[in-house]
Amino acid sequence: MKILLIEDDADTSRFVANGLRERGHVVDQSEDGRDGLFLASETGYDVMVIDRMLPRVDGLAIVKTVRAAGVKAPVLILTTLGGVNDRVEGLEAGADDYLVKPFAFAELLARVNALARRPPITGEESVLRVGDLEMDRLKRTVTRAGRRIELQQQEFKLLEYLMRNAGQVVTRTMLLENVWEFHFDPRTSVVETHISRLRAKVDRDFERELIHTVRGSGYCLSEPA
Amino acid sequence: MSPRSFLGTASFRLVAWYAAVFGASVAVLLLSVYWITLAAIEQQLKDSVERESRLLVEIYTTRGLESVLRGVQRRVSDLRSPRRFLLLQDPSGKVLAGNLDARTPDVGWSTIEVPAPPADQASRAEEAAGSAVIALGRRLPGGEYLLVGENLYRAEKAEDAIALAFGWGILTTVLLALGGGALIAVGFLKRIEEINRTSRSIMDGNLSNRVPMRGSGDEMDQLAVNLNAMLDRIQALMESLKRVSDDIAHDLRTPLSRLRQRLEVSRARVATPEGYAVVMDQSIAEVDAILETFQALLRIAQIEAGTRRAAFSEVDLGGIVSAVAETFAPVAEDSGHRLRASIERTATIQGDRGLLTQMAANLLENSIRHCAPGAVIAIALTREAGQPVVRITDSGSGIPQEEREKVFRRFYRLETSRTTPGNGLGLALVKAVADLHGASIDLGDNHPGLRVSVRFSGTAEDAPQAIQPEAVPGRPAFGGDRAVASSPSVGVPARQPAAMQNLPRASFRQD
Repeated sequence: MKILLIEDDADTSRFVANGLRERGHVVDQSEDGRDGLFLASETGYDVMVIDRMLPRVDGLAIVKTVRAAGVKAPVLILTTLGGVNDRVEGLEAGADDYLVKPFAFAELLARVNALARRPPITGEESVLRVGDLEMDRLKRTVTRAGRRIELQQQEFKLLEYLMRNAGQVVTRTMLLENVWEFHFDPRTSVVETHISRLRAKVDRDFERELIHTVRGSGYCLSEPA
Repeated sequence: MSPRSFLGTASFRLVAWYAAVFGASVAVLLLSVYWITLAAIEQQLKDSVERESRLLVEIYTTRGLESVLRGVQRRVSDLRSPRRFLLLQDPSGKVLAGNLDARTPDVGWSTIEVPAPPADQASRAEEAAGSAVIALGRRLPGGEYLLVGENLYRAEKAEDAIALAFGWGILTTVLLALGGGALIAVGFLKRIEEINRTSRSIMDGNLSNRVPMRGSGDEMDQLAVNLNAMLDRIQALMESLKRVSDDIAHDLRTPLSRLRQRLEVSRARVATPEGYAVVMDQSIAEVDAILETFQALLRIAQIEAGTRRAAFSEVDLGGIVSAVAETFAPVAEDSGHRLRASIERTATIQGDRGLLTQMAANLLENSIRHCAPGAVIAIALTREAGQPVVRITDSGSGIPQEEREKVFRRFYRLETSRTTPGNGLGLALVKAVADLHGASIDLGDNHPGLRVSVRFSGTAEDAPQAIQPEAVPGRPAFGGDRAVASSPSVGVPARQPAAMQNLPRASFRQD
């Protein structure tokens, strides 16, 4: 993937860029809002990672400008401001996701991957399929190998999110934000508990597991190789 | 206040303008009265002259010139004051009778000058005045000229008197307006000065000073109330900021020192790469915990600042309670507890969905984490005295009476819970969220256990009554979601089956 990184802190920039390059991505770095804005509007990127507070041009202003110029590439905003209002502001400016510093690299990687895979909103299929697992989003039914699986509402939402990001690592935080709309860190093992319930229904009676734990990162739902 | 500075005030300018406008309107009024009065007096004179003239003409036509002549002569000699003037001339211009000298015959109304008689002959002021005479000239059928006139002295006298009265009137009006205005302005300026004095005093560092009030409930009192409320708010914000920095200084120092010691000791003692990896992992976990505490502190401060109130929207409390209950039921179950949820009657309030969710989650997690396995935990949305109440109860060890107020403080932890992990900020956040929503929070005894009641203010409105299962926000009922049975222990309103449920249970060991 071709990724643009606009980040003024040299250490953070190196940490992120090196990490992404190690995973085979091409990364253009910019330490300055104005240069970053130029790159963002001139070059086609798959994903843009933009720090919110930048010298000369503010990160949100960049997002607004490139969105106004018709650039559709997904944007991940990095910020030290963790308030809910700040997050809403970022999303309203046209960003697609919001990550509060400091963060684990695995978290950033998972979010970048999820953004790159984000399907166009118009082309959402009503039926999701991963291997022999099938979800009908309109009838709200789930079957595996033709056998009906009964899910509670939150389990359904959780599985839906995993299926939409099939093959990708989704982190605990991503699940909390997208499935439960929790923008805080619960002090009990909410995600782990619900994942284990879901596994019991989706994987237990079947030979091959679909839901995998990725150590140190999160979870991944994928077809057996 | 010196007179000079008073002249420069906005109130003085207002008073001056007021006096000028008021004076001008009074002047316009008086002038109109003046002109109308004068016109009326003149008309009266003319009527009188006209009557006399017409009478003489009538005598002429009925009895002839001789009678008119005698009449004029008698009238002139009868006049004790020379207010009335008469003149009868023959067609050649010779004076036949009257008290005026011969003159060119002018027909119609005219104003003529009559010389004043010598002062020694003048018996009255009216005579001395002489002056102008308004006269009506007529040509008689025989060619004779008849002039009847009346001295304008009376009209002029009235004119002077009215002008004088009106002059004084306007002067008094302006003076009264200025004086009254100044009195009002001085009172007003005194109130302004009080506010200024308070502002200066606050700028000098007396943050607790407030604008004094008169208790009259007038606009100035309302201004004072608003200013004081604003000052209270600013002071609260500053105190909250100060508390946060104090908290950071005191409570983050401890874990940071601990981290530093760990790293220092490891540097000296650990020799193997595996050992380093362990230390690294421990250190990262410790840093994460510190960051989390830091984030929680900032969040509490942000909530206490109250800025999020601007983003309030309509929130369905029942939806939040049932969603949180569904989220935490499996967690409670895995810890050996049983979680129940009940919604007697749902309610809609103005609030922040995210924060209310976090508040409910924090309270549930508190019960889950602090109760020994086997506890019964319940979250309920009820209504007491018309107000929605979210109540979380458990059958754990509870909180001793004397500790109940303290647990809402930042970093305060009960002796009994020192051993469980936690940063001591959960209930502080709950309190902040409740305060933000104007809700009161009350800790009570559940015999045994803890009973937390969050009472929302009466602004809440009823949610639409006829809620169908499919319409409960956030809880669409879809196929197969009937693993939950309705609780027999609580009365279930028949029209809200889905808003009420007993969540899945397991390992309910306590009996």
